Amino acid sequence: MKERLETIRQQALEEIAHSAESEALEQTRVKYLGRKGELTQILRGLSQVAPEERKAMGQAANEIKEAVATALEKRKKDLEAKELEEHASRNRADLTLPGRRPRLGHKHLISQVIEEIVDIFSGMGFQTATGPDIETEYYNFESMNTPEDHPARDLHDTFFVKDGVVLRTHTSPVQMRVMESAAPPVAVVVPGRTFRVDNDASHSPMFFQIEGLLVDKGVNFAELKGALMHFVHSFFGKGIAVRFRPHYFPFTEPSAEMDISCTVCGGQGCRLCKHQGWLEILGCGMVHPQVFRYAGYDVEDVTGFAFGMGVDRIALLKHSIDSIHHLYENDLRFLEQF
Amino acid sequence: MRVSLNWLREFVDFDLSPEQLADHLTMLGLEIESVERLGQDIKNVRVGQIRSIEPHPNADKLTVCQTDVGDGQPLQIICGAANMKVGDKVPTAVDGAVLPGGFKIGRRKMRGVESQGMMCSETELGIGEDAGGLLILPEDVSIGTDIVSLLELDDVVFEIEVTPNRGDWAGVIGVARELSASLGEELELPDIHLITSERQQAADVSSVTIDDGELCPRYAGRILVEAEVGESPAWMKARLHAAGVRAINNVVDITNYVLIETGHPLHAFDLDTLAEKRIIVRRAEDGESIRTLDGVQRKLDRDVLIIADAKQPIAVAGIMGGENTEVGENTRNIFLESAVFNPRFIRHGSRSLGLITEASQRFQRGADPAMARYALDTAAALMREYADTDVLEGVLDEYPHPERPRQVTLRYLRTNEVLGDEVPPHRQSKFIQNLGFETVEETSTASTFRVPTWRHDVKEEADLIEEVARLHGYGAIEPEIPKIARRGEDLAPEEMRLRRLREFVVGLGYTECITLAFGNPEDTQAAGLNGGAGEMVTLMNPLSEKHSAMRTSLLPGLLRTCAHNLNHGVDDQALFEMGPVYFPRDNQTLPSQHSHLGLLLTGRRRPPHWSEDDADTDFYDMKGYVEAILEYFGLQSTFRETRQPTFLSGQAAEILAGDKSVGSFGQVAPGASRAYEIDADVFVAEFDLDVLLAIPQSPPQYRPSPPYPPYLRDMAILVPRGLPAGDVISVVWENGGELLKDVQLFDVYTGDRIPADKKSLALNLVFQSHEKTLSSNDTQAVWDRIVAQLQERLGAALR
Ligand SMILES: [Zn+2]
Repeated sequence: MKERLETIRQQALEEIAHSAESEALEQTRVKYLGRKGELTQILRGLSQVAPEERKAMGQAANEIKEAVATALEKRKKDLEAKELEEHASRNRADLTLPGRRPRLGHKHLISQVIEEIVDIFSGMGFQTATGPDIETEYYNFESMNTPEDHPARDLHDTFFVKDGVVLRTHTSPVQMRVMESAAPPVAVVVPGRTFRVDNDASHSPMFFQIEGLLVDKGVNFAELKGALMHFVHSFFGKGIAVRFRPHYFPFTEPSAEMDISCTVCGGQGCRLCKHQGWLEILGCGMVHPQVFRYAGYDVEDVTGFAFGMGVDRIALLKHSIDSIHHLYENDLRFLEQF
Repeated sequence: MRVSLNWLREFVDFDLSPEQLADHLTMLGLEIESVERLGQDIKNVRVGQIRSIEPHPNADKLTVCQTDVGDGQPLQIICGAANMKVGDKVPTAVDGAVLPGGFKIGRRKMRGVESQGMMCSETELGIGEDAGGLLILPEDVSIGTDIVSLLELDDVVFEIEVTPNRGDWAGVIGVARELSASLGEELELPDIHLITSERQQAADVSSVTIDDGELCPRYAGRILVEAEVGESPAWMKARLHAAGVRAINNVVDITNYVLIETGHPLHAFDLDTLAEKRIIVRRAEDGESIRTLDGVQRKLDRDVLIIADAKQPIAVAGIMGGENTEVGENTRNIFLESAVFNPRFIRHGSRSLGLITEASQRFQRGADPAMARYALDTAAALMREYADTDVLEGVLDEYPHPERPRQVTLRYLRTNEVLGDEVPPHRQSKFIQNLGFETVEETSTASTFRVPTWRHDVKEEADLIEEVARLHGYGAIEPEIPKIARRGEDLAPEEMRLRRLREFVVGLGYTECITLAFGNPEDTQAAGLNGGAGEMVTLMNPLSEKHSAMRTSLLPGLLRTCAHNLNHGVDDQALFEMGPVYFPRDNQTLPSQHSHLGLLLTGRRRPPHWSEDDADTDFYDMKGYVEAILEYFGLQSTFRETRQPTFLSGQAAEILAGDKSVGSFGQVAPGASRAYEIDADVFVAEFDLDVLLAIPQSPPQYRPSPPYPPYLRDMAILVPRGLPAGDVISVVWENGGELLKDVQLFDVYTGDRIPADKKSLALNLVFQSHEKTLSSNDTQAVWDRIVAQLQERLGAALR
């Protein structure tokens, strides 16, 4: 009996070692450890062995069974690894062949810039507001403290739809629409299309602006600076220098223009910044009391600041685009770069 | 405006480099657009006196001159000019000299005779336009003097952008005044030494009448007799040149010179051409006309203010003089005008005549009545000196309604509230005083100031706060992030929804376009859309015919964009635009504005791939995108065949959500493609987002997924060829009962294997129960009912 067990062990281990494929190995397993396998038979036949030998025999048979099982497992893993390797060598993907790509869409650069700017201001608590592209002269000019015959109207080459109705020349009229519809406090940003009779190398007759307005008790110029500097540092980067210099707008007083250090030369002077080191980015100021009077706000009770920026110019600066006309030509080779 | 550094220095003393000055002015609100250095490259050009002039032995048009530049030995110089005589003093470039543009002068032979330098014209020195002859210098200049210092050619010119509110900055004195205030330096306005002649009183020669003091608050004039009209002195020409003004003759040059210096426009009339030598300021009569200095005959009307003599208009007041009273070579006697006109009237006149001049630009910003008189006397004194004229005693000065100076109060605390800073009261009042405001009343908390005559822009406290802020320096105010009290309700909720929709459409593979929101009837009609009279919002002053109206659809812009990209070799396009369209509206001031979404597809369905054949986009691609967009909105879409000129017939549908029409889509008709020069199959869709967004949406409600697996069964049926597949699917649904969960059409076949008038549809029916795993037995009854109904109602037969 003992000899027989030893023979089975040797035979089994040898056959396992010589099984060259998973299938052959499985046959080997069945031959020894299957329901009718040789070792299974022996273990089942132990009841016929004399009781005094049974224990020793059982132990020996179980040891052999375990050894065979371990060898089978090991050989199985080796064979699987070998077979995977063979499969890989027959079926290697060509990593240099292009994949099957879905068509990719692109958001227009103007949309991207508007969304980014609106998000920066919305993070400070500004809400989005909108207004009509075709506006009354009252909202576009008069209520913005720019009456008929005001010299500042010369700066706006205005498209007229009919007497008293214009294509808005700026997003500022929405200031008045918002203030008319709500009591202070007011904190809004207003993205939108604007129009001027101008079409040359650096002007498009349609362009985009973002207006901002904050009205509350005690709003001051320091906060105007703070809000706009936060915008510049979020949008253009922390290292950008900012300066505010006096300017004139009929609807703000004091008024300012904000410059940032040149995005190309960093302030050393280059062609883009006309060797000034600064780039004009937006106009802003404290809301003119006359505008509050038009809105029916109490000029002693509240103060406010407003700003307006050209989205196109900001997009051109950030992405080194040489002409505003690229933005509205919609050449896919341009649009797909952003 | 161009302002010279040397000129500024005449009125205020400062110790700033040109760069520092540019920066300083910019930070005061006088934005410097450019800084130009003059004369700095001119070297070794000196005053020379011509000792002799001999003909050149070998050239008729040249002379050989001996010119003394103070070196003992005169230089021999060959010269091509003819306007000089022996004894004249002229700018002389000696050996080694450099002229503007780096042009070097040295000894050289000209036609066999040595030339040891060059005598210069004003053009060669870069100070004028007269290249016809040498620049003859005054007799009293010393030989050998450096020309750069003599004519103050070493100058820096600042190009300043003057904002419309600050007419007072449109002159050298105004800029100097601002500098003096900001630097705390005295403004030095020279006293005018005007010596008048007692031979006659001005009032005995001429007179001034103002019809309407509203339109002309002040009109002052002086009479100059026996003027010598000729050339201006070189220094004045150089200054005018630096300021960008052409020299004409001494009389005109002096009016321009004083204009630049004081910012106040003057005008000189030839007195002897005035009928009765009278000046009348009045509105023009309808039918009157004038030929202005630019040679244009202009029709006038009641809305134009004119200067007239006893008979006719002689100038458009404050805008341009008339040709018939122009000062010329033969003028002897001059009426010199310095007036103030109503800014609104000047602006109006300037626009209605289409005439914008230096004078009109200044008058429409508001002139200073005090400066009017200063400018007049300064000019008269210069005329006396440089035009050799007598100035008659007396001023014809009509000033019917001297404006009462405004008074404005500044509360110091208010300043600091608005600025968010602590500017001490004494500094605030000092700033305002430095600007020329007089303190009327002062308390510990506020001051009242009298506004100077040149500050038309200062009307209320906010204007004074700006003055304090400017002089304090915007940069000195510490920035602070505002604390914003958030309002509750959303002001533009649709904005966020449009933004998410944009993301979704981009995710579908479409690239966003933004086209100009203009349109025109022709392009609109070419796209098969309504563009007739009254159907578009038209512009009164369009840029061009192409932009004559506002668009009513996004399709023309998309088609134009498609054509552009096809022309540039991009054949596969998936484009979209989200934006406004505009429609006229009766009985409303403003037109209506809708948000639309437009899609365009052309070319291959997918990016090409090496593993598969290309397939072209077709109708059902666009239909799929349309369905996806409606599903994005949580809406069931249905479609109705439509015939519109935009679309190829049979390949177009109106898009319905419930019973609402929300848009249409289809293949672009060949006529429309041709009109846009597109040679490809193009599919477009357009949605009215206002309608789509207005359809009420409720949040989707959860439906539990059945725990048991579905039982799937395929059905192949033959139906009449023209039968819409949707009819079959409807019948299946109607008879599917509770167990039917889904119906998918997975094949449509027409061809040889079935009769020609039939088509085969293959459907996959999905049955599922919440109670148990279904088998064929459970669904057989439903299946039989569906088959029977299909046969009965649609004549369908199982294959
Ligand atoms: Zn730069």
